[in-house]
Amino acid sequence: MKFRKIALIAAGCAVVAGGTLAIAATPSDVISARQANFKVMGKAMKGSFDEIKQPAASLEVLKTNANAIAGAAVKVAAGFPQGTGPEAGVKTTALPAIWEKPQEFHADADKLVKAAQAYQLAAASGNLDAAKGALMQVGGTCKGCHEDFRSRDN
Amino acid sequence: MPRAREAGAKLWDWPVRLIHWSFVALMPMLWWTAQHDNISLHKRLGLVMLGLVVARLMWGVVGSEPARFARFVKGPRGLMAYLRGREKAAAGHNPLGALSVLALLGLLLAEVVLGLVTQDVDGIESGPLNYLVSFDVAEVARHLHELVFNLLLGLIALHLCAILYYRLFKRDNLLTPMVFGRKALDEGMAAPAMAPAWRALACAVVAAALAWWLGAGAPH
Repeated sequence: MKFRKIALIAAGCAVVAGGTLAIAATPSDVISARQANFKVMGKAMKGSFDEIKQPAASLEVLKTNANAIAGAAVKVAAGFPQGTGPEAGVKTTALPAIWEKPQEFHADADKLVKAAQAYQLAAASGNLDAAKGALMQVGGTCKGCHEDFRSRDN
Repeated sequence: MPRAREAGAKLWDWPVRLIHWSFVALMPMLWWTAQHDNISLHKRLGLVMLGLVVARLMWGVVGSEPARFARFVKGPRGLMAYLRGREKAAAGHNPLGALSVLALLGLLLAEVVLGLVTQDVDGIESGPLNYLVSFDVAEVARHLHELVFNLLLGLIALHLCAILYYRLFKRDNLLTPMVFGRKALDEGMAAPAMAPAWRALACAVVAAALAWWLGAGAPH
């Protein structure tokens, strides 16, 4: 009995400790996570562009990539809490403008989400030209935001 | 110095000079277009560069004597013999300069090949053969594309220093012959043989066709 109690307490402590760790994710963790998220989108963008260069592009492939982009796009805005800019001392190309002009930044992130969802819909609709057009729109939102909020050096 | 323009033997034929000075013009343009995100122009200029490098490599096999690798590239023994002054170089690149030619052309070739498969950090803009490689390979290519550019800058600086050194300390003007083609050769040096123009034209056609084919995304 006594042993079980100790085990329970220990487990409780572990859960609390784990929770604390999750809340207190270091800036470095946050930056790594958002970079991984951007890489998911980069890969899916390349996957999309590779596919539309094929003589017979597959809408299924575009759909998969569109889903990946849309899934990652919704996580972008939350990936930049205070303290995860250049001042974190970790290598990042995020510009201070993200925190100086949060409304514009979030508007840009929102544009990406909408464009990604439109790409998802277009790819699912079965119209290849519509999917291509929607893909270009997604690329435009990436570039638009990067111009203002990401440094060129990487 | 009007004499230097007309006097002496024909050394650098027009294909060598045209390609050389095109490199000089293209390098800053390629740098500028990359720096200012004008990737569509960067890619077109890069394909021109690719065609020129390929043409120069072909000219190094079938071109005029001073352009031929077999004539000016020496092994380590030949290089040492030249450096110790036991062997005189023929007109044109000496065995040490040959290393510079190989390094510059080799790096230019590496740079254009990397450019074919590379991509920007977003996976949006990419070289015409980017679709043949994975995202991660293209990312490596992107970093190497920048590294090789910096190596090229270093070698170009060395190239310019060598020209200045020859001018100031060896009283040998290397610039004028590269502009006008002629050079007064040392006593007893044979005037090199020049290749006919049709061969240059053939090289140009093959190189241009290759560049166009690769630029179109090629081997589908």
